[in-house]
Amino acid sequence: MKKHKVKQTLKIVSAAVALGLTMQGAAYAGSGPGYEDPNNWPQFHRTYNAWHFSPLSQITKANVKKLKVAWIHQPGNITMGQQSFPIVIDGVLYYISANNNVWAVDAATGKTIWHYETKLDPVANEVFYKAASRGVTVGRGKVFVGTLDGRFLALDQKTGKEVWSTQLTDMKKEFGALFSAPPQLAGNVLFGGTTGGDQPIIGKIFAVDADTGKRVWTMEIPKNDPKSWPSEKARSEGGGTAWWPGTYDPTTDTIYIGTSNAAPDYYPDERKGDNLYTATLLALNPKDGSIKWHRQEVPHDAWDYDSVYETLLIPINGKDTIVHLNKNGFVYVMDKDNGKLQNVWQYTENQNFTSGIDPKTGEIHNPNYPEVGKQKLFCPNLLGTRSWNPGAYNPNTKLWYSTGMEVCNTVTGAKQEKVETINGLALGLSEITLVDPPGKKGDGWLGAFDPATGKVKWKIRFDLPPISAVLTTETGLVFMGDFRGSVHAYDGDNGKELWNFNTGSGIRGGIVSYAVNGKQYIVVPSGLGSHVPGFLSGKFPEIKTLPGGSSIIAFTLE
Amino acid sequence: MKTTTLQKTVSLLTLLLCASAYAMEPAKDPADATQAATKPAPLPTEAPFDLTDPEHIALGKKRFNAYCAAYCHGNEGSGGKTPAFKGRTDMTQAMLFKVITEGRVGSDVMPSWHAFTEEKRWELVAYIMDLGRQPANK
Repeated sequence: MKKHKVKQTLKIVSAAVALGLTMQGAAYAGSGPGYEDPNNWPQFHRTYNAWHFSPLSQITKANVKKLKVAWIHQPGNITMGQQSFPIVIDGVLYYISANNNVWAVDAATGKTIWHYETKLDPVANEVFYKAASRGVTVGRGKVFVGTLDGRFLALDQKTGKEVWSTQLTDMKKEFGALFSAPPQLAGNVLFGGTTGGDQPIIGKIFAVDADTGKRVWTMEIPKNDPKSWPSEKARSEGGGTAWWPGTYDPTTDTIYIGTSNAAPDYYPDERKGDNLYTATLLALNPKDGSIKWHRQEVPHDAWDYDSVYETLLIPINGKDTIVHLNKNGFVYVMDKDNGKLQNVWQYTENQNFTSGIDPKTGEIHNPNYPEVGKQKLFCPNLLGTRSWNPGAYNPNTKLWYSTGMEVCNTVTGAKQEKVETINGLALGLSEITLVDPPGKKGDGWLGAFDPATGKVKWKIRFDLPPISAVLTTETGLVFMGDFRGSVHAYDGDNGKELWNFNTGSGIRGGIVSYAVNGKQYIVVPSGLGSHVPGFLSGKFPEIKTLPGGSSIIAFTLE
Repeated sequence: MKTTTLQKTVSLLTLLLCASAYAMEPAKDPADATQAATKPAPLPTEAPFDLTDPEHIALGKKRFNAYCAAYCHGNEGSGGKTPAFKGRTDMTQAMLFKVITEGRVGSDVMPSWHAFTEEKRWELVAYIMDLGRQPANK
């Protein structure tokens, strides 16, 4: 064939391919983990590497300002806001609203397909962690719920009818231990942990057969070892729950799940020892819950510094590497197969609990412990450098976008007395007051980081610390919501704001993107909730005036 | 008809047994009868002790700091989703006791603290009303 004809043919072929891809709502360059199943948001973080990255490219930096509301779904109950991380599969969006009301919604129109109203045991009215859940899990023809009365529950994906239900906790005996987040799938195993890291219970991870609900294994997180806990009493009241969803890497058949602080939070005096496996990132075998390896980030934790946040898998020097933020304000970069530390970098701007963490060993130098009867300042505060709202990694910019809060607290430690009620906490203090960091005004930010080194590319400040998840897309957009309810789109290269929309109530849950019939959607859960607003209002009294809400808002270009 | 000695003895013994049985029963809460019906017992509207007594206020403060302050109402009631407690003139003891007992569910949640004895709940009321009498934070 003559040269110019080859060129012509190639042009036609590539145009056709591009058109075909665009018609699917996807024109993406990459492949592999992070790029799979581009039209859907099939699991909590979209892909098992926890990137919160959408490969879709219909919405760009040039046209994002044209985004408009396509539909709104309102569940009608606004207690504790809207904290869902929606799941979207084949044009159906699944989410949860107050008191475990589960919704399947047409993702193109917002019309309800089915609604399941969980019948909760009355004990769910007595507990500290009322009303809220962060979503559902969908797979194997079922929608899975972690319930507010201590069960894993499976519904038929098409009809919403109950398939099985398994009671896992005895809430009256376990200070109301319940599920506030969806259990996750590891093959045919459904696993997850409860609330209660700040309560006098023994934290556990539960696993059931996803198809039948039959218990498969249960792991007690506080280790049965006198080096870790001085007595069975301390161990059985040591907390160490796994209350945030873990992730499952199918390439190595490994569950990654982080554990909470040790209890009583600020009174470690009666639990001398390393308090394994609290404040630890665990790599588990899904079959039996046995530990492949562990990395305890905060031995003998005395500051409420949980390790539960998302386990990012990011290519560093050509190899998928774990990048893991602890509430203490440090990011731990480690080998995904054995937890060997490659680096530890400081994420928070303000901290005073250590003179420094060794980047190769993780050793916490000169820890500044709480003391009984003495008021001391601690940064980061009890909520941590960031709340559970995940960040997002963009494989094109190679930046990790995540939020932070710069707020400290004074704490006067106190001997923990018997917790008298099911809804009480074991914080080990007689006073806690939110304060500014020394010499500065407390605030929050959205930052763009090199995930391996922590080098900051750009940062935007917010007067109220953002508590929304972040979404990033193939075209370099970064979406995030603020405390008052505006969703923003930024240029991922430089943080320039390209679009915003006021949804009317604070954004707490997961912002996701998917495509239906060639059209890309950005979906934002709107509705201020969780325990964070009440806690922060001591420092930011404007929060007292902010309204609650609950809605799922979908945006498209046309 | 004449009462025999035996009949008198039996009557007396029966009387004594009934009297002792009555005495052994724990003092009945007048609310029990209404709980047997489905209507909840009306809440007390007045504290059983002097709400300005420093000892009761101190007990209430300790309980407040352990159960109410950290995640919700903040140090000295400055936090949470309610107006700060200091300088408040609208809080009555009856209203406070009711909210503490029943909790609240709206866009936010306040747990119900009915699991505490009434006395412990009144101690919390004492502390909160003491805060109310203090000048508001600027």
